[in-house]
Amino acid sequence: MRRIIIRRLVQIIPLIFAVIVMNFVLIHLAPGSLFDVMTSEQQITDPAMLDQLRHTYGVDQPVTVQLAKYIWSVMRLDLGYSYRQNAPVFDVIMQQLPATLILMLAAIGIALLVGVTAGVMASIKVNTIWDNLISLGAVFFFAAPSFWLGIMMTVMFAVKLGWFPVGGMRTIGVDESAIGAVLDVMHHLVLPATALGLFYAATFARVMRASMLEVARLDFVRTARAKGLSGGRVVLAHVMRNAMLPIVTLLGLQLGTMLGGSVVIEAVFSWPGIGSLLFDSVMSRNFPMVLGVLILGSLLVAVCNATVDLLYLRLDPRIKAR
Amino acid sequence: MSGFSRRDFLMTTAGAALASGFVGSSSAATGTPKRGGTLVGTWGGFEPQSLFVPAGGGSSPYFTSTKVFERLLRLTVDLKFEPVLALDIKPAEDFRSYTIKLRPNVTWHDGKPLTAEDLVFNAMEYWKPISAGVTLDALEGAEAVDPLTVVLKFKVPVPEFFLKSVLAGKAGLVIPKHIYAGSNIITNPVNNTPIGTGPFKVKEWVRGSHVEFARHDGYWNAGLPYVDKLVIRWWRDPASRSAAFEAGQLDIGTFNPIPAPDIARLTGTKKFVAETKGYSNSAWITSVEFNQRREIFKKREVRQALLHAIDRSFISDTIFFGRAHPSIGAIPSSNSIFFTKDVQDYPFDVKKAAKLLDAAGYPVKSGSRFKMSLVSAGWFEENVKIGQYLKQAFEDVDITVELAIPDRATSLKRIYSDYEYDVAVSNNSGSIELIPATTQYYTTDGIVKGAAFRNATGYSNPKMDEIVGKMAIETDEKKRVSLVHEFDKLAAIDAPILPMVDLEPVTIARADVRNHSLTADFMGESWAEVWLDR
Repeated sequence: MRRIIIRRLVQIIPLIFAVIVMNFVLIHLAPGSLFDVMTSEQQITDPAMLDQLRHTYGVDQPVTVQLAKYIWSVMRLDLGYSYRQNAPVFDVIMQQLPATLILMLAAIGIALLVGVTAGVMASIKVNTIWDNLISLGAVFFFAAPSFWLGIMMTVMFAVKLGWFPVGGMRTIGVDESAIGAVLDVMHHLVLPATALGLFYAATFARVMRASMLEVARLDFVRTARAKGLSGGRVVLAHVMRNAMLPIVTLLGLQLGTMLGGSVVIEAVFSWPGIGSLLFDSVMSRNFPMVLGVLILGSLLVAVCNATVDLLYLRLDPRIKAR
Repeated sequence: MSGFSRRDFLMTTAGAALASGFVGSSSAATGTPKRGGTLVGTWGGFEPQSLFVPAGGGSSPYFTSTKVFERLLRLTVDLKFEPVLALDIKPAEDFRSYTIKLRPNVTWHDGKPLTAEDLVFNAMEYWKPISAGVTLDALEGAEAVDPLTVVLKFKVPVPEFFLKSVLAGKAGLVIPKHIYAGSNIITNPVNNTPIGTGPFKVKEWVRGSHVEFARHDGYWNAGLPYVDKLVIRWWRDPASRSAAFEAGQLDIGTFNPIPAPDIARLTGTKKFVAETKGYSNSAWITSVEFNQRREIFKKREVRQALLHAIDRSFISDTIFFGRAHPSIGAIPSSNSIFFTKDVQDYPFDVKKAAKLLDAAGYPVKSGSRFKMSLVSAGWFEENVKIGQYLKQAFEDVDITVELAIPDRATSLKRIYSDYEYDVAVSNNSGSIELIPATTQYYTTDGIVKGAAFRNATGYSNPKMDEIVGKMAIETDEKKRVSLVHEFDKLAAIDAPILPMVDLEPVTIARADVRNHSLTADFMGESWAEVWLDR
């Protein structure tokens, strides 16, 4: 157990290094630079002022020196300073990362709950109308763009019915107790988490159904039935537990894409997460911010994947930490 | 140019000097103002990078910072200057110095008083080197005569309308000396929690969501602001803004907050109004630029032919859903002081375009006259469609078009740094005063490699430079207007760059939001007088 954690942590170091180098190169290959964007926005034309800013932003040095300096500062756990936001990169990200984490966790929760339940239902009632309906729903939510789903849900549940707020994370301008604040965030969370989660639920449902059907044919299930266990117990404790393995694999793979997918949902629901920051930073070629988000993002995904590995151990004791 | 005279604008500041409050003059100002409530506003763009960007930084930080900082003057919708922090601004006989009388008893949000020292600091350390730049090149010095009087000195005569425009414009925010002195103004972290003299104080900025402003109780204009709280929220998606309006979670949005087809739907319910006033001092245009560094486009006949090939009505009616109109000359028609119709016009005429191209020496050879690289700056959604339309329009006169619609950073680089285009579609927003925002697209000194929203075409005409040079120092406003007309005529004939359409941005507000859109640049106003009738 400890070995697996340590090994995972050690693997993160070259990963982060690769993330920095690749993205640094990519963003410098894209035409236009932070310097261009900043000076054009600020309408600065005075050559002396331009030189001074070049020096302030550190773009008067060769790109390789900039990269080396950046890596050195990351090694000292310093993500740098964003002149665009006039604040340290880490501070800006930390203001917005928690919102994205909450949204991701809630979406994963919904995806697992809905997806696994639907998959199990479909496999139990295989080839019935229920199975077909669930498959239809899965195809629909898989195919529907999440931003469209988000807008439709907003129109339906926020504008027409008024059950949920239109966007944002908190009711603005209201001072609440801690419990009130949590409930308020949860109220705001329902629509975006559902819109984001249903897409993944669709894949989970399909994979779960297939996996359940496969496991259900195995010998140990027949044994379980033969020794007189109830149908529900066989399904939940024997079939489902073994059928969960592909879901866990899928979950680990999709955590990364979920971080990307949340960008769109955050835009639709004006969720104050990392998505808009990342988008804006890419558009303005603000590479310290882009790299900062990607480093923290890859750390997050790496930690999640390590957690998934640990989950494997728990689900299937035959897998041993080597 | 009706209703404007030199006397008018000289009188306005002096006449209103002693008035302690602003005078509302729009139809939106009906009934007795009510105090209280929370006003939630937004605009048709995204969150700013910082609440205040000293050097400008675009519309979004301008929107947020102007709720906190004020200027000496402001320009009303009928283009008259009204006093804000200054009671009076008077030129000397020779127009080489101006005496500014400050309003007494104005305090910053931290309780310190606004003094002449603040103003001297702003003039020499902030406006001249950072916010106004070349605009205030002629500014030589600033001197505090007494605690409330400042004299600005200039190298050359400076027209009164020009100076007042600068002071009432985007560059004229007054920032506190005691906070900024001795620091790098541009990178000072306080720019994220600015401290000004305005009606609203920054309470909390939740990045990615909104900024909350609280009422500044010590505001000099007693009784204002009317609302207790102002919240500026950002949505990244126009359809989400419509939904927020309909769900009652948004009161007012400036600069096209919602998709054009939604405007009729929302105003049809009578719960919302669409207001086009309040944009004349920040008039947006979509322009077409011709790179003079390329042999073909250096020929004036080619440029004129291409202008004839563009159906501007199609652009305004179809692409902008009627929220734009064809431009005439280089000056937006909303500029009632300087606009003139008396310039070379380019009606849509494909046959004429073809004839002009033939005459210019570019007949159709094996299906094509020549090849053109067309760059449409992708920062506005409409520019994507305009780029596609222009490709078709130019292909209709047998030109082979290679269209590129790059993102913001790439567009800036291709058009303004590398000059890597033949024909470009870009935008800008100009003030009523044409120097320098409009003129720098046409003058030789407007060519600054790498500096955006300037002369990127390489056009250089001594005659043009001479006219603009005269405009800069002509202090007789009547003569100045005729100089501007000369400028406009030459710009329209030479056509290195011309606006295709004047945009008509719209403000959407709930019907119970009162007293909005009273100034020539409402988005950049303090919103102290806006009140809620509920």
